[in-house]
Amino acid sequence: MANPLLSFWYRLLTADEHHGSTARTPGQGSHRVDPGARRPPSRWRVPMASSRQASATIFLVMRRMRAPLIVLIVIFAITTLGLTLIPGEDDEGRLFHMGFFDAFYVMSYTASTIGFGEIPYAFTYNQRMWVTISIYVTVVGWAYAIGSLLALIQERSFRQALALQHFSRKVERMREPFLILAGYGRTGELLARSLDALGRRFVVLDRDDSRIDDLYLDPYQADVPGLVGDAGDPGHLAVAGLDHPCCEGVLALTDDDQANLAVAQTVALLRPDLPVIARGVSPAICRRMHAFGTPTVVNPFDRFGDHLRIALRAPASYQLMTWLESGPGARLPRRGAPPSHGHWVMCGYGRFGREVAHDLRAEGLDVTVVEPSDIAQDDPDAVLGDGYEPDVLARAGVARAVGFVAGTDNDITNLSLVAAARRENPDLFVAARQNRAASAPLFAAVDVDSLLVPADVVAHEVYAQLSTPLLWRFLQEVPRRDDDWAAAVIDRLVALCGEHLQAVWKVRLTAAEAPALRRWLGGGGARPRQLLLGDLLRDPDDRDERLPAVPLMLARGRAPGRSGPGDGFVVVPDDDVELRPDDELLLVGRPAARRLLDSTLFADATREYVLNGRHVPASWIWRTLTRRTA
Amino acid sequence: MNLEKVVFGFFVLLAATLNFGFFIGDLGDPELHNSYELYSAVVVNLIATVLKFGDRTQIGAVHLATSLVAVLQLVAAALVWGYFSYVAEAGLSREATASVVSLSGGALVANIVSVVLLVVETVSFHRR
Repeated sequence: MANPLLSFWYRLLTADEHHGSTARTPGQGSHRVDPGARRPPSRWRVPMASSRQASATIFLVMRRMRAPLIVLIVIFAITTLGLTLIPGEDDEGRLFHMGFFDAFYVMSYTASTIGFGEIPYAFTYNQRMWVTISIYVTVVGWAYAIGSLLALIQERSFRQALALQHFSRKVERMREPFLILAGYGRTGELLARSLDALGRRFVVLDRDDSRIDDLYLDPYQADVPGLVGDAGDPGHLAVAGLDHPCCEGVLALTDDDQANLAVAQTVALLRPDLPVIARGVSPAICRRMHAFGTPTVVNPFDRFGDHLRIALRAPASYQLMTWLESGPGARLPRRGAPPSHGHWVMCGYGRFGREVAHDLRAEGLDVTVVEPSDIAQDDPDAVLGDGYEPDVLARAGVARAVGFVAGTDNDITNLSLVAAARRENPDLFVAARQNRAASAPLFAAVDVDSLLVPADVVAHEVYAQLSTPLLWRFLQEVPRRDDDWAAAVIDRLVALCGEHLQAVWKVRLTAAEAPALRRWLGGGGARPRQLLLGDLLRDPDDRDERLPAVPLMLARGRAPGRSGPGDGFVVVPDDDVELRPDDELLLVGRPAARRLLDSTLFADATREYVLNGRHVPASWIWRTLTRRTA
Repeated sequence: MNLEKVVFGFFVLLAATLNFGFFIGDLGDPELHNSYELYSAVVVNLIATVLKFGDRTQIGAVHLATSLVAVLQLVAAALVWGYFSYVAEAGLSREATASVVSLSGGALVANIVSVVLLVVETVSFHRR
């Protein structure tokens, strides 16, 4: 801050603020505060060093152009001055001195190599010599100036500064809630597509500039600003809108646990009010993430283990969950039937292997681990060796096994393992782990019974948490129900939307989101009117038909006269469930059903027909007229 | 000693002194106002302006602003001078000279502000 007056006011005012806050709450000294009582400031000062750097691009250009411009001015000054001093002759042979204007005019067209000729009179040899020198000198001056400018534009740091400025301007102009996506790998890309389909806005940070180039090539409906930068740097997060009032959350999805931890820490310290969802693979890092605030940590291996347990117990529940998690447009996944009794062989005992072996054993299965290195020594049933060697597989008992997991961190090894195991025992249930997105066609060709793609698991999990809170609650609820129930739900959904998942949306019966319905519910005189779910889901075109939508979940609003959170949930509510004001509904169905239901919620005439079967005029004039005559 | 500061101070001062040299004398007398002085004032002011490019401090911004004002006034003076010497029928009359010199007088004020800023900057630098 170079302005002394400004810095004076700044110091005066900020010092006053500190003084005031300590005076009000004497217990809040700088270090003696217990963390629970710490009052979060309303507005956090996030270091904005990088954004200030961005605004300095123009200064950089000006500073670099100083020397070339001065050289150019000096050359022009000397050559013009020389031309006025050197004596010439007019057309009658008299002594003539060129004026400044003539000299400047001649030098201007000479320097730019245009050359209009000798004016106002033909030059003498003295003058011609001077002009010859001037031509060479001025051309060098121009070349130097233009060359420096072009070099500056080509320079990497300058282009980065321009990109940063462009990015921060775009982020500052965001006027709707947006998410910060740190890391645009396979997970980030999948999630970005789902979020874009939901109409959510987000900005992207990635360390790799080729990923940011891909981001600009990917077809998104909304404009997605992207910046090349390390997400662990608080300055970069600040530029990406960490202290923007519209920022609604941060997703740390890089493939580097340490970087995700850095993001979680930064957000927890600078904006503790923002939710964080972080990907973490190592249990130690996940624990360290939980030490800062309350981030949601998604561990793909842990989740896959949980999914596998659900799949063992209830294949249809698993199928329903994966289908809903995949987002609109997803195909119904195949219902696998993993053998829930017998012997399993697990190849690879890294973090993933440990997790899965633990979960399989917890389900009461008998697991043999095959691992080439000695990290599996603590496991009682470990076989040392490479799983694709026939004798190792024989020792692990593949011939009598029912299930096989190829879970190393190398795709080529996993494919060999699958092939080797199938040769030994063709009836095996085979699960495999796919590490790289590029290997997807190979695994599809091998046709394994269950495929784990860690990137997809994280993307689906985060999508389920972000899309609507109701979907997340529903997914939590599914494993508690039995398999037949899930199969019935799937049958209903397939009968309605076919093999591809259609729109999943939420309806809240509030005055803002369902005005027509609220007027009807609220204005019923002394006795509140009764609204059944089955009545609401009638087709506005023909009320004897049902809307092509399945209600998945009903979250109870507050009953009148009671406070606190809602009364709970009804999973896949029946048609005779009564709806109350402020209830929330999660629906799956065709997009047309959503539009039709919206018209019931918003338009009084439609609502009147759907609920009561009465045709009432929609326009004000006819309504007034019918009221008069009635 | 900082060579950059020497060069900077030199050009800022020289811009003011040349400007003053052209300005002084009877306002309307063409004999007392040499066109070479005006020319050198324009050139030196241009150089001083470019030297002030790219300084991001508050005082640097004011410096640049004063120089831009001075250059604007001097270039206007040079244009008026060129118009009356080459284009106008009457040639460089008393009135024409007066307007050229008064324009350069405006530039002189800006240059003086520039010198004052230079002095303020130097003094506050020593105090720190």
